[in-house]
Amino acid sequence: MGHGDKGRPNKKLKFSAKEITNLDDEDAYFGGEDIDDDVRDGEGKKRDFTKLELKPDHINRPLWACADGRIFLETFSPLYKQAYDFLIAIAEPVCRPESMHEYNLTPHSLYAAVSVGLETETIISVLNKLSKTKLPKEMIDFIHGSTANYGKVKLVLKKNRYFVESPFPEVLKTLLKDEVISKSRIISEGSRGSDGFTISKTMGEIGAGPSDLLNEAELAAVAEEKETHAFEVDPTQVENVKERCLPNALNYPMLEEYDFRNDTVNPDLDMELKPQAQPRPYQEKSLSKMFGNGRARSGIIVLPCGAGKSLVGVSAASRIRKSCLCLATNAVSVDQWAFQFKLWSTIRDEQICRFTSDSKERFRGNAGVVVTTYNMVAFGGKRSEESEKIIEEIRNREWGLLLMDEVHVVPAQMFRKVISLTKSHCKLGLTATLVREDERITDLNFLIGPKLYEANWLDLVKGGFIANVQCAEVWCPMTKEFFAQYLKKENSKKKQALYVMNPNKFRACEFLIRFHEQQRGDKIIVFADNLFALVEYAMKLRKPMIYGATSHVERTKILEAFKTSRDVNTIFLSKVGDNSIDIPEANVIIQISSHAGSRRQEAQRLGRILRAKGKLQDRMAGGKEEYNAFFYSLVSMDTQEMYYSTKRQQFLIDQGYSFKVITGLPPPDSGPELNYHRLDDQLALLTKVLSAGDEAVGLEQLEEDADDIALHKARRFGGSMSAMSGANGMVYMEYSTGRHKLGKGQMKSKPKDPAKRHHLFKRRFG
Amino acid sequence: MVNATKGLFISCDIPMAQFIINYNNTLPPSQQFIIHVLDSTHLFVQPHAAEMIRSAISEFRDQNSYEKPT
Repeated sequence: MGHGDKGRPNKKLKFSAKEITNLDDEDAYFGGEDIDDDVRDGEGKKRDFTKLELKPDHINRPLWACADGRIFLETFSPLYKQAYDFLIAIAEPVCRPESMHEYNLTPHSLYAAVSVGLETETIISVLNKLSKTKLPKEMIDFIHGSTANYGKVKLVLKKNRYFVESPFPEVLKTLLKDEVISKSRIISEGSRGSDGFTISKTMGEIGAGPSDLLNEAELAAVAEEKETHAFEVDPTQVENVKERCLPNALNYPMLEEYDFRNDTVNPDLDMELKPQAQPRPYQEKSLSKMFGNGRARSGIIVLPCGAGKSLVGVSAASRIRKSCLCLATNAVSVDQWAFQFKLWSTIRDEQICRFTSDSKERFRGNAGVVVTTYNMVAFGGKRSEESEKIIEEIRNREWGLLLMDEVHVVPAQMFRKVISLTKSHCKLGLTATLVREDERITDLNFLIGPKLYEANWLDLVKGGFIANVQCAEVWCPMTKEFFAQYLKKENSKKKQALYVMNPNKFRACEFLIRFHEQQRGDKIIVFADNLFALVEYAMKLRKPMIYGATSHVERTKILEAFKTSRDVNTIFLSKVGDNSIDIPEANVIIQISSHAGSRRQEAQRLGRILRAKGKLQDRMAGGKEEYNAFFYSLVSMDTQEMYYSTKRQQFLIDQGYSFKVITGLPPPDSGPELNYHRLDDQLALLTKVLSAGDEAVGLEQLEEDADDIALHKARRFGGSMSAMSGANGMVYMEYSTGRHKLGKGQMKSKPKDPAKRHHLFKRRFG
Repeated sequence: MVNATKGLFISCDIPMAQFIINYNNTLPPSQQFIIHVLDSTHLFVQPHAAEMIRSAISEFRDQNSYEKPT
């Protein structure tokens, strides 16, 4: 928001003004009201908007546009829905609380706008119509400047060859002046034209843009025959060429489109959506962004967990009706994707196959759907003969659609490999949380494409499509003995264990479990990253638990019991449960420890309970139950956990969620019915924590998802999921307890010695 | 015989008392300021220690509170 720094001095002033005899720290945990004041002060000092001219009918217009590219939208305006659809297409959402949204115009977001078919003049005129004030000149210039070159160049894959297409030969000439691009050009013998460009005729844009936007917005596009010039580029260099064309270099960002209806070379896949698969309005909208002009565009669709991302994926595949390669993060989600395909579409069993270390199926016929993992495709070592054959098939095939699930978790390096290995006409990335602690998100812009659609979480909650979650942060005071140990220098490596095992936290957790199990009959997931705590809690409370070392059979058994049995209402999960385990029954999450300040983990965990439950009418605004899901984060006061906890919540806060702070749990009158009531028990627990080795109380280190790689034991290496995703980067250096094996993430991404590479790769990377 | 010492009476919550005690213990004996730990929420310290304690606590708190980067 741009005023966080303001909070600090004020807070200190307040503090020093306090009575010395009362060093009680209750109010020093500055509450929301201080921050509000700061925001207003900061704005007033920094910027003066008084000279902006208000339009006479400004009350009817929903948004404020500032010269620095920021746009504020009033969500209570009658035009909100239309304005939202428009803004989400042209600007990046920064923060979306209930009544006022903040957006930011960036070159990337404008690129996305152009790629979904909006034109510069349309953007400006619609923005002007919606704005309460006259559009600042700076903003108009900015839009002109960043969109002038957009949409002029297209990247097209034809018959397994990549072409750069443009109706303007002079643009192509400019591009070819660039060293990188001219090097990657392939000059074919059959080329005609004075400049050696291939000339062909293509249809112009037909009916582009969100036509439902505003009646007044004239978005009609002309359909005409245009002459296009093209040159071919080396498939291995495509990514470099694309990067050179981005706004920070040549500034001719490429659009990737696939004219699947006129593709006669690739065989059609006989699949359709089943009639009962009814895409919801926002799913429909995201698809319309993708297929806006009758062609398929590459890009990313952002929907919250539980909002039905898989249906969007399956619908896209069945609209393109060509072979589809679907990539997921692990074997469990591969099974889920295969199941979703069969559930929503009329695809026949023999047309869909899973390719993991356990099941190597091959589809019959000339078109089909392959579901596999990123690891399987990107894996560079020796493979079994069978999978080598399949991977060869994947490489040689021209895919109609490359469907990528959870794009936020995959390290850029792995993406590059996957994308350079597979030839696809159209790439669709799906994710719920487009945030990464290492800010590598922008890489996705040229690796996959612009963000096509992003849903507003709160709107989906209001529509009853996802659960309405009450988020709460439970503040548990540290006990005297635990805090004394926490402060000691020699225990610096055990800090986490000490604040997680804080007896007050345990009691709060036990209280919440009892309350939800007995009073509401809820199903509860308890998350603990800290393995020591997970085992201690689960054993003490006699609840089943799943962590990295739990076998597949046991996991399935526990999850099955959780789903069906009335006696198993609570399970303890380590971070293996963050992403992929699908537990639609759960509606309460209690988080007792977490991975430092990862915003993504917080959002993904919340996602476990977002799937809407119960009757639709109860869920809608004004229905029977205000909240039907609960997310508790237990935090030990006065510890590092407070810092991490606030940081973790930022993403959800930006989505408009608010966290309620609960103190005084368990209630003071609760006695020995909860564990660790007596001091002896607490002290015994403390001794246990202190006597445990530093490694034992540390974070769980997950082994990498085995998949195909498990066949080659020497290639296996231990690493956390976060290391896999690149989240163990520099950002986590601040977490100085020394338990992290820093550098692991970096090591993996180091390019291998070129001499050792398989000859197939040499050509690609050499 | 009654002994009178001028000092500062601090009342705070349990963790903060622990923090002050721990802070006191990290100092060399000549600078230690706690005269008496009365109970788990009350301390009696030397009068000059007020500023020192205050700044130590506010530093500790700053470490534990997250400010959204701008």
